[in-house]
Amino acid sequence: MEQFINITLDLLVGFGETLKIFLVTLAFSLPLGLIIAFGSMSKFKPLSALTRAFVWVIRGTPLMLQLITVYYGPGLIFGRVLLTSVSAVYITFSINYACYFSEIYRGGIESIAKGQYEAGQVLGMTRRETFFKVVLLQVIKRIIPPMSNEIITLVKDTSLARVVTYYELIYFAQRYIKNAGLLWPLFYTAVYYLVFTALLTFLFGKLEKKLSYFN
Amino acid sequence: MNILEVKDLRKRFGDNEVLKGIDLSLKKGEVLSIIGSSGGGKTTLLRCLNFLEIANNGEIVVADKTVFSATEGEKPTIAPEAQLSFGLVFQQFNLFPQYSVIENLMLAPKLRAKRMGTGEKIEDIEERAKQLLATVGLTEKANEYPCRLSGGQQQRVAIARALMLSPDILCFDEPTSSLDPELTGEVLRVIRSLKDSERTMIIVTHEMEFARHVSDRVIFISDGVIEEEGTPEELFGNPKSEKLIAFLSAGQE
Ligand SMILES: Nc1ncnc2c1ncn2[C@@H]1O[C@H](COP(=O)(O)OP(=O)(O)OP(=O)(O)O)[C@@H](O)[C@H]1O
Ligand SMILES: [Mg+2]
Repeated sequence: MEQFINITLDLLVGFGETLKIFLVTLAFSLPLGLIIAFGSMSKFKPLSALTRAFVWVIRGTPLMLQLITVYYGPGLIFGRVLLTSVSAVYITFSINYACYFSEIYRGGIESIAKGQYEAGQVLGMTRRETFFKVVLLQVIKRIIPPMSNEIITLVKDTSLARVVTYYELIYFAQRYIKNAGLLWPLFYTAVYYLVFTALLTFLFGKLEKKLSYFN
Repeated sequence: MNILEVKDLRKRFGDNEVLKGIDLSLKKGEVLSIIGSSGGGKTTLLRCLNFLEIANNGEIVVADKTVFSATEGEKPTIAPEAQLSFGLVFQQFNLFPQYSVIENLMLAPKLRAKRMGTGEKIEDIEERAKQLLATVGLTEKANEYPCRLSGGQQQRVAIARALMLSPDILCFDEPTSSLDPELTGEVLRVIRSLKDSERTMIIVTHEMEFARHVSDRVIFISDGVIEEEGTPEELFGNPKSEKLIAFLSAGQE
C-alpha cells in the first residue's frame, strides 16, 4: 500500500512534466495558429502558397520524426547540440499543433456567411471591428468540437517527447520496469490520461453549452 | 434639392457588364421602387450604392456632396463618410446571432462613438434603439436573440438596425423575398410607416402591389439599363416599353 502511494505520487510528478508540455504547447500554438491561418488565407498569393506548403509538410509527417529532426538535426549539421530536449519539445509541439489549429481556424473563419461582414460594413463598422465583435465568437462556437478533439489528442501526443529524452509520465513509469521489475505502473499511467481527458471533455462541454444560446 | 444623384453608374464583373450606365435622382422623403426581371442588375445597383461593390464608372452625389466618383480605368475616390449616407436591409436579414435584438441595434453606433470619440452617451444610443424598436413594433423583443424570432420579426429588427445610423437613403433588397407569405405583411407595413415619417428609400421588390402603393416613383431595370421610369400610375397603368409590358403580364399569371 505504501508502495502504491509512493508510486502514485512519483507518477504525479511525471504527469506534471506531461502537463508542462501540454500547457506550453497550447500557450504558443493557439495564437500562432491564428497567424498561420491568416497567412494561408492571405490574398497575397506567394504568402498563402508558402504557408499552405508549410502546413502540408508539418501535417503530412509524423510528429515523432519532427521531434527527432529538431533535436538531433542541428547536431548532425553543425556538429553540436543547439537545443535542450525541453526546448526542442516545446518548439516542435507548438509548431506542429499551430498548423493543425490553423486549419481548424481557417475552416471556421471561412464558414461564416459573407453577409455578416457585409452587414458590418454597411453599418459603418471597420473590418477589424466586424472581425472581433461579430465574427470571432461565431468562429469560436463553430470550432469548439474540432478543437476539443485536437486538444485531447495533444494530451496523448505528449508521450512522444520521451524519444528526445524529455522525462514525462510514461518515462517515469518505465523506470519501474528497469529498476524494480514492476510492470503495473506503466499501465497505471492510463488513469492519469483518462482523468485529465475526462476533465477536458467536461470543460469543453460546458463551453459549448455556454455558447448554445445562439446559432 | 435632390438628396441623391447617380450619374452614369457602370459595373462590370469580368467581361459581363451588369450596369450599363444608370442615372437617377431622388428627392428627400421620396420612395423609389425598382422592379425588373431576374439578373437585370437591381441587387448590383444597391450594392454599388452601399459600396459592397465598387462601380467601375460613375458618380454618386448625396445632398450635393460627391461621395463617390470613378472613371473607367482609374482608381475610384470614396469620401470617408460615404458609407453612412446609405443604409441597406438585406434579403437574408444578416442579424448578428450572438447579440440580442437591442444589442444588434446598439453595436455599430457604440463602436462608432468610441472610434470617432463623438462623446455620444450609451444611454442616448439605447434610448434611440428603444424608440426604433417601438417604431417596428418589437419593444417586447428587445432582449430576445435573433434565432428565437420569426423571419418577419428578424427583418423588422434589421430595418431598425439600419435606421440607427440615420442614413440619408435607406435601401431594401427584396426585403420580403425570404419570408413566408403570411409574414410579408408585417414587414411591408413597417416600410410603409417609414414613408410617412419622410424617410428617403429605394426598394427593390417583386411585390408589385406594394410597389404600386408605397412608391412615389418606379423604375424598371432590364439588362443593366433603366428601361422605363415614372409614377406608379404611369408604369403599372400605362407601360410603354415592350419589355415592361412583357414583364408585367408575366407577373399576372
Ligand atoms: N459578384 C459577382 N460576380 C460575378 N457576377 C455577378 C456578381 N454579382 C452579380 N453578378 C451577375 O450580375 C448580373 C446581375 O445580378 P443581380 O444580382 O444584380 O440581378 P438582380 O436584378 O438583383 O436579380 P434578382 O431579381 O434575381 O435578384 C447577373 O448576371 C449576375 O450573375
Ligand atoms: Mg437581386
